[in-house]
Amino acid sequence: MSMLTAFRNTPFREKTAWVMAAILIAGAVFYFQMVAGASEAIGRTAPPVVGFVIAYVVVIVIASVIAMTALGATSPREAEAPADERERQVADRAAHWAGYVLAVLLLGALWHYSVNQDGHMLFHLGFLSLMVGQIAEYIFQIYLFRRGV
Amino acid sequence: MAKAPPITNRIRELREAHDGMSQSALAEAIGVTRQTVIAIELGKYSPSLESAFRIARVFDTDIEAVFGWESPPRRT
Repeated sequence: MSMLTAFRNTPFREKTAWVMAAILIAGAVFYFQMVAGASEAIGRTAPPVVGFVIAYVVVIVIASVIAMTALGATSPREAEAPADERERQVADRAAHWAGYVLAVLLLGALWHYSVNQDGHMLFHLGFLSLMVGQIAEYIFQIYLFRRGV
Repeated sequence: MAKAPPITNRIRELREAHDGMSQSALAEAIGVTRQTVIAIELGKYSPSLESAFRIARVFDTDIEAVFGWESPPRRT
């Protein structure tokens, strides 16, 4: 079975988790490539640019809306149906586990700040924690959909 | 991997006995997705009490005729 066929046969909610995880991973890689590039150019951690962060969030939201609309068009019935009891349980448990990931990463960012006193890096690591926490939530959802709640 | 609950079920058998009812038809009758029916049948998900009763009602039987508890008998 080709990957495309396998994806087509994947249940709708799992499909949305895959797509959202892919969008967020692509966004995170792009953001940190920009930060790394800017930091290299100035020889220290690049300061956060609020305009860039806002643009990043807007692009992620637009990409998500487009992707969800496209997925919804391919399975309109599943897209309109509310989540059932198992799907709600998967979402709750994934969010719970992702909360731990977020907490650990944020503590790591704070520890890094306490050692290096680099406020710019604290911002970037905090932002990274939010991204990875959200990506982790989708990955946990995929895991739970596949392996059972 | 999530530990499978010690709950057994005869859903597949009952579906087949009911004119080969499909998983989709059962899912629609009890208000869940087909994937959830598959997960219940495979023992990967324990349904809520409400869904368990709904399943028993679809097959016009008691809940204990559909679900069982796989554990050593209790010592008295």
